[in-house]
Amino acid sequence: MLLFVLMSQVLSAPTPSIYPVVNSALTQNSVSRNGLSAIFRMRLRQWQDGSPITVFVLRDNNPLHQQFCKQVLNVFPHQMRRSWNKLVFSGTGQAPVTVASKDEMVDKIASTPGAIGYLSDEDITEDIKILIIK
Amino acid sequence: MRHTSTLNCFFKLHNYGIVIVLCCLFTNAQAFESDWLPQNLQIHGFLSQGFIHTSDNNFFGKTDDSISTDFRELGINASYRILPELQVAMQVVWRDAGKTDDSNVRIDYGLASYNLYSSENSLLTLRGGRVPTPLGLYNDTRDVASTRPSILLPQSIYFDVNRNLALSADGGYIYGEHRTDYGDFSLNFGVVMPRLDDPDFKNVIVGPDPGKMEGDISWVLRTGYEWENGLVKLAVTYADFNGDYKPSSGALLQPGSWRFNPLILSAQYNAEKWSLTGEYAIRRAQLRNFGAIPDTQFTGQSFYIQGTYRLTSSLEALVRYDDLIWDMDDRKGLKLAQAAPGITNHSRFAQDWTFGLRYEILPALNFSAEYHRINGTGWLSNLENPQGTTQHWDMYTIMMSYDF
Repeated sequence: MLLFVLMSQVLSAPTPSIYPVVNSALTQNSVSRNGLSAIFRMRLRQWQDGSPITVFVLRDNNPLHQQFCKQVLNVFPHQMRRSWNKLVFSGTGQAPVTVASKDEMVDKIASTPGAIGYLSDEDITEDIKILIIK
Repeated sequence: MRHTSTLNCFFKLHNYGIVIVLCCLFTNAQAFESDWLPQNLQIHGFLSQGFIHTSDNNFFGKTDDSISTDFRELGINASYRILPELQVAMQVVWRDAGKTDDSNVRIDYGLASYNLYSSENSLLTLRGGRVPTPLGLYNDTRDVASTRPSILLPQSIYFDVNRNLALSADGGYIYGEHRTDYGDFSLNFGVVMPRLDDPDFKNVIVGPDPGKMEGDISWVLRTGYEWENGLVKLAVTYADFNGDYKPSSGALLQPGSWRFNPLILSAQYNAEKWSLTGEYAIRRAQLRNFGAIPDTQFTGQSFYIQGTYRLTSSLEALVRYDDLIWDMDDRKGLKLAQAAPGITNHSRFAQDWTFGLRYEILPALNFSAEYHRINGTGWLSNLENPQGTTQHWDMYTIMMSYDF
């Protein structure tokens, strides 16, 4: 019963907004929806100025990852994994870098030029900016 | 060579322990990847061990009234992004599949990809080297168990007896992709020289006549469409594979040539919990100038329809019907069996009902089990069944697989 009450509270809690975020040194401020999807599917590897993109993601079963995939990219997490495996095991692309936690995501994006990942608004620090979806 | 045989010997000694040993070695693979290596260099790998039993006939080892462990795949690959627009990658694979694979270590692919043009909406890439052949939905990564929906791919289209010929070839490709609000369109065209490393392939065409098969200039074209990041996937593949027979001294046959033209139509729908997949292929085969074998041409047909359903987040079920006909003008093989008494008519078709389960023990560590009810022996290897075959047979397979 207690478990049920706890669960229903978790389920009814408002989910925080989640945004694609980049290293704040990046000159580019926005991206098209197709472009964002291509970046996370590891098909687009360069920013508009030609500099390399490094993609960071949380593990497949992380709730933030699942929320970002479904709400922002409009894709199921297992579908993302499938498309990365296809690139990795056919030699035609690479997988994103997996980080273990939200804190590591913050660190990596703040310290890696050209980095992109995703965070909830309350976790965004000063070295990180939201990439606006056009 | 010596290194290769030592490696094979090692794996044979560790038939049963191999999956466990290597899983332990690579359990921490993700940490290893991001801590040690520069971010533009990645190392990934996979391994799988299958166990196969059949009621009759042999598939990947001695499986008739016995359990074969001769189905094993192990691979490691590295990719290095030298520049944002230039990547090199190579995959080395060791594979055993009964008598249909020679169990050697081989390079599955080794290629360079250069992006001529890349934007938010479009991509144009040149690829060269040994490149995975884009055939249908599953061929490009067919060795990696986690990328297959089942332990064995539908054999009517993804024949395992000539896996090396289908998997990759040496040559060059141009790949284009255009992303729109109505879906992503892609086109992949390549000119290649096929690899003829499959022990069964020469046997299928010229039998025991001494000599070897060599690839000749061939080409492949695949066009694809994906809607909503893969919710719907459609593809059309056409290929023109060519090769020649080079008889050695004492051969009865003349130096003939063969030509193989598959046309594959593919469709897939991926919902959150279930997916539905179908592929249909028409395959035209031609043999010319072999002397004692008259010039022949026949057209075969293959199709399968497959459904998967996620029962829980870690358990998936699969049902598939797979149908192969070697010659549309002789669907039951009766004409051929009458003309050539050594050939049984049921070797000219195969109908395979497959029921499977896959359980994800840990992310990337899978256990699968599968039951096949099969009518016909159209995709069995003659090398593995010299004693003759039985028309109606059952196959039971289980597999452990891991990738990182």
